[in-house]
Amino acid sequence: MEVEQKPNDLSTQKFPLPVDSEHKATVFRVHSFAPPHMRAFHISWISFFSCFVSTFAAPPLLPIIRDNLNLTSTDIGNAGIAAVSGAVFARVAMGTACDLVGPRLASSSLILLTAPAVFCSSISNSPVSFLLVRFFTGFSLATFVSTQFWMSSMFTARVVGTANGLAGGWGNLGGGATQLIMPLVFSVIRDIGATKFTAWRIAFFIPALFQTLSAYAIFFLGQDMPDGNYSKLHKSGERHKDNFPQVLYHAVTNYRGWILALTYGYCFGVELTVDNIIAQYFYDRFNVNLRTAGMIAASFGLANIFSRPGGGILSDAVAKRFGMRGRLWTLWMVQTIGGLLCVLLGKVGSLGASVAVMLVFSIFCQAACGLTFGVVPFVSRRSLGIISGMTGGGGNVGAVLTQVILFRGSRFSTETGITLMGIMILCCSLPIWLIYFPQWGGMLHGPSSKGTTEEEYYMSEWSSTERNKGFHQASMKFADNSRSERGRRVESAPAPVDQGTPSPGV
Amino acid sequence: MAAGGFLLALLLLSCLAASSNGVTFSSLQRTLIVRASPTQGQVLKAGEDKITVTWSYNNTFPPGTDSTYKTIKVKLCYAPISQVDRAWRKTVDDLAKDKTCQFKIVAKPYSASNSTITWTIERDTPTATYFLRAYAFNSAEEEVAFGQTTDAHKTTNLFQVEAISGRHASLDIAAICFSSFSVLSLFGFFFIEKRKGKASRQK
Repeated sequence: MEVEQKPNDLSTQKFPLPVDSEHKATVFRVHSFAPPHMRAFHISWISFFSCFVSTFAAPPLLPIIRDNLNLTSTDIGNAGIAAVSGAVFARVAMGTACDLVGPRLASSSLILLTAPAVFCSSISNSPVSFLLVRFFTGFSLATFVSTQFWMSSMFTARVVGTANGLAGGWGNLGGGATQLIMPLVFSVIRDIGATKFTAWRIAFFIPALFQTLSAYAIFFLGQDMPDGNYSKLHKSGERHKDNFPQVLYHAVTNYRGWILALTYGYCFGVELTVDNIIAQYFYDRFNVNLRTAGMIAASFGLANIFSRPGGGILSDAVAKRFGMRGRLWTLWMVQTIGGLLCVLLGKVGSLGASVAVMLVFSIFCQAACGLTFGVVPFVSRRSLGIISGMTGGGGNVGAVLTQVILFRGSRFSTETGITLMGIMILCCSLPIWLIYFPQWGGMLHGPSSKGTTEEEYYMSEWSSTERNKGFHQASMKFADNSRSERGRRVESAPAPVDQGTPSPGV
Repeated sequence: MAAGGFLLALLLLSCLAASSNGVTFSSLQRTLIVRASPTQGQVLKAGEDKITVTWSYNNTFPPGTDSTYKTIKVKLCYAPISQVDRAWRKTVDDLAKDKTCQFKIVAKPYSASNSTITWTIERDTPTATYFLRAYAFNSAEEEVAFGQTTDAHKTTNLFQVEAISGRHASLDIAAICFSSFSVLSLFGFFFIEKRKGKASRQK
């Protein structure tokens, strides 16, 4: 859809980075903090990072907390499940919130509303209160969606993959960093003189304050779009407000979204599960002290600094040669290797081997997350927000399911649970074989012999009435840009030279 | 495929081999008599109450059985009811892996006659049901005998410790204040945002 350039101040605005016609940045400079684009990137990944730190602040301190609150394995498992279940629906809802009030207000509100749960973790005194604080703290993981939404508002399609991958990956780092931060803070406070059972309570103030401060940073330093905030922008109708029930319908009826939600549950969901159980696992099985268990556990999450973005970059690199088929094959292979390594992790009995296997496993698991979001943007153009939210929510569902079945109570030892989790990864990655794009193909088959084009695929999301009104034009532009998903070997139908509706400038 | 399987088997074997050289509990003789002050079902407070432990060698055993005993360590041990659904307190026969007795009360050189100490329960002792056990160690620091205040099935003479909560009034107040501040800030944000929106519309 072409934006009519009005002769107003916006067109004369100067941006530190080169921008396109929508004022989205066309380059990504990670060292820069230039407003509004790079500043938005740094604020959003840092705030997402703080939410991860808070959500997984309890696991590294569980050996202390479980004695203070008299928790059983079942209580611990339930709290771990609660921590990741809240975000299942919160993530889907966050997409809508971003549409209504903008990512700046949506994410800062959520962060400020969940900060009390982190503060109140300090005063929990029973298994029930512990579960409740972990449940409400976990809602903050919905900031994933606002991060991705914000990046998509600030960066063009060519660099949005990098922006999204880095924002997501560096945010996920929080799950690893917290395993280092919390034991360190705990031991400093204990050395100052507090008893163990008081020191862990004081330690929780650190992530809570960090989270609150990041919300302030979002509100005062951030900006929804390159041109300003939602409340200030005069909505001149350049952004057509879509019909929510239709958008929802096209999201839930697209089977690919559901398959990706399931498979994301077995890469990101597994990552969340491991964040919850790994410190206790090393502490109990290998008798290392709290700090060492935390360091080992941290290295799992810290791999995110390069592994998740690496997955995204790998997806783009493979797509250049093999198109969407390459993306799907790579996603399946990487996730399956991750599953095999997970099976092995539960089997190795020595500390050194466990750490080594865990590190390699973390790289494959997180790269699979990045690879998943190399496919998600192409599933739907109209319902991209909800599909992203569904996939993100599916990740949390996977974490809930895995913890309920394998890591709750004493049915399985933790090492058996880890091996079984690896088998679940292998099984739940198989549906990727079923994903098929008629215009590009799938893992088993090439593109449809009917010669379906990208335009036909994305236009099928709009009814003829909507097409007559011209609402589908943005999708058409996207369809044209997505032709690169055919890869270098052009097997699918050639680009249509004669389109029914003449689209100027496409 | 075969090579991978062989490597895996080798890895597993080496793990097993490394772990099977510890002393087992079932190999120990109960040659020590241990008595403690808490009565059955008594509740003691961590950090405040004291326990008096007395131990001695049981003379009904053949003379010379205690010739290898060098040190005695008395430990506070979890009763079965506090081990349910808590794998980190599991009783395992291999003493190197056993997690039943996690708190050391005292370590003293061995003497066959009565020895007594009084111990204040540490502040970070968790809420649980306990009994007391004494291990006799030889000069190689290996367990060679034991004695405990309860019977072989760990059902009699168990007492409870009530832990400190770790909470303080100042912490409670700080948590409530900061939480309220966060929520109030949010209202502040919306108020500011509305004002800015009105101002730009008036322009």
